[in-house]
Amino acid sequence: MEAGGGSDVRDILELDQGAKFMTKDALLNDNKKKPIRKSDISFKRPEGMHRELWGLLWTDNKDAPPLIPTDTNQGYKQMKAKIGISKVRPWKWMPFSNPARKDGAVFHHWRRLADEGKDYPFARFNKAVDTPTYSDLEYQQHLHDDNWTRQETDHLFDLCKKFDLRFVIMHDRWDREKYSNRSVEDMKERYYGICGILTKVRAPQGTEPKIWAFDAEHERKRKLQMTKLFERTQEKIEEEDLLIAELKKIELRKKEREKKTQDLQKLITAADSNIDSKKADKRQTKKKIHLQQKFKEVVNPDQSGIKFADFKASGVSLRSQRMKLPASIGQKKMKAIEQVLEELGIEFNPMPTEEVVSIFNELRQDIVLLYELKSALANCDYETETLRHRLETVAPGKSSTIEGLSSLSSLPETPVTPTETTPMLVTPNMTPESPNSQKKLAEAIDVIGSAPGTPNRKRKAALEQRDILKKITKKV
Amino acid sequence: MAEYGADSGGRVKGVTIVKPLIYGNIARYFGKKREEDGHTHQWTVYVKPFKNEDMSAYVKKINFKLHDSYPNCNRVITKPPYEVTETGWGEFEVVIKIYFNDPNERPVTLYHLLKLFQSETDIMLGKKSLVVEFYDELVFQDPTVMMQNILQSLRPISMGSYKHETDCK
Repeated sequence: MEAGGGSDVRDILELDQGAKFMTKDALLNDNKKKPIRKSDISFKRPEGMHRELWGLLWTDNKDAPPLIPTDTNQGYKQMKAKIGISKVRPWKWMPFSNPARKDGAVFHHWRRLADEGKDYPFARFNKAVDTPTYSDLEYQQHLHDDNWTRQETDHLFDLCKKFDLRFVIMHDRWDREKYSNRSVEDMKERYYGICGILTKVRAPQGTEPKIWAFDAEHERKRKLQMTKLFERTQEKIEEEDLLIAELKKIELRKKEREKKTQDLQKLITAADSNIDSKKADKRQTKKKIHLQQKFKEVVNPDQSGIKFADFKASGVSLRSQRMKLPASIGQKKMKAIEQVLEELGIEFNPMPTEEVVSIFNELRQDIVLLYELKSALANCDYETETLRHRLETVAPGKSSTIEGLSSLSSLPETPVTPTETTPMLVTPNMTPESPNSQKKLAEAIDVIGSAPGTPNRKRKAALEQRDILKKITKKV
Repeated sequence: MAEYGADSGGRVKGVTIVKPLIYGNIARYFGKKREEDGHTHQWTVYVKPFKNEDMSAYVKKINFKLHDSYPNCNRVITKPPYEVTETGWGEFEVVIKIYFNDPNERPVTLYHLLKLFQSETDIMLGKKSLVVEFYDELVFQDPTVMMQNILQSLRPISMGSYKHETDCK
């Protein structure tokens, strides 16, 4: 019979179990199947399920219970300790000595009878540190240090041995009457220095022994730092947090500014290249023969305005398709284009000849560029305004010397003068030189508040857009 | 189709041939609502070359997709004049699809909003028919050799002067 298996039988028969004690394994689960009671039931009750529950599941018509048999023998059974089946293992109050102690002191404690006479099991956790020793000769030859006397060094090593290199305790027990006060770092530096020298000296010829590295200076600094950190007052901590937050803000603003400058730079170069190409165009416009070439040059340059789909692929296409605005252009720019076209009296879908398509696209590119420049200007104006307000609060009375951007750069200077580029499309009463028409054009696009940014501003922009529409309808 | 064959030559790179065309519709008011079906206008939707050229040399067919309420609303025209004449009472978008003789070219689609009504009273009275037409250009980018030959040797449709309803010049 297996261990623990037939305990029931033995219990019933009141057989003597001798010195056999319950093991933990046997207590928790004997891992043995109980003899199954034969019945007409083909579906087995899962092990450990209560009979009452099984009875509820089991109905008269003998259909299968809504259970799936498993192959784990745990079943419904919880880990239950079977207590009280076998006899308890006896305990005894007995003396013991700790082999880790050198004084051989005897103490008493409760222990299993079976463990009587065995070694104290925790003695093995008592580890001793190997501290090197040195001879007089070695000390004289290698270990001499102006900062340390021989006696002091001996005292240090004595403490090292006594407290197993627990330097903090050693520092506490340092004999301050005989020797000058030494910091933990001083002690460590001396100790590891000696260890290093000794291993080097004692290493057999030709080998390079590994040496403990201890950077005392670094350690001192580190502790100083830690002390400083620990000794901060609440006010200082708060101030530090504030400064960090401020720094983050500054960095964020810097990044934002850089991005803005980049965007602005792009716009400016776009505008500049526009002027250049237009200057070049002026010389050519008289000779209509060169028109074909010109279009190829003008439409292609990488402008910031609109990216029209290029029809370089082979095949048939409609010319009018080339005037289609790309979907990516966005509502605001679309609106700006419509406003200017309306102002200029140009139809939204002019007759699509090659020349017209080309010029029309160019015009709309210019309009978008103008729009972008205007919004950039409005942005800069807004910023100058806020900065001026801030300056006023910081240093009142000084702000009067700073002027707004818009007053500096009056709009007639803007390179975008669609009237020049579209002599065919413009109604005759709009001569390119008329300053009125230019001013009107610039006014047609209203971008104040349309700066991309906070949702709040966007909402404002939407409101403004409505105002512009109202203005336009009034004009018409 | 057989005369061009599947192998009609590779595309000629760098060649662009432009064929301007006019599309649109004319409409005439009956002067009253017709008793039997309620129709008020007779209209003609059309596609024609801007120049006096025979389009059928390169156009295989033109499909006019009318409003669903018309019987047989897909009208396929295979030879000039490419036009559909109908009567009706409402405006709708006509989808005009131009198919080419060259199997390498995909069809081109035009959208035309059929126009019947105009506020001017003389048109309402049926005195003058209404014309709404648009100019557009077919751009043949890198045509095949066969197509290039066809496009460059087009014959006029009619002898004498070729005129449009609207002066596009």
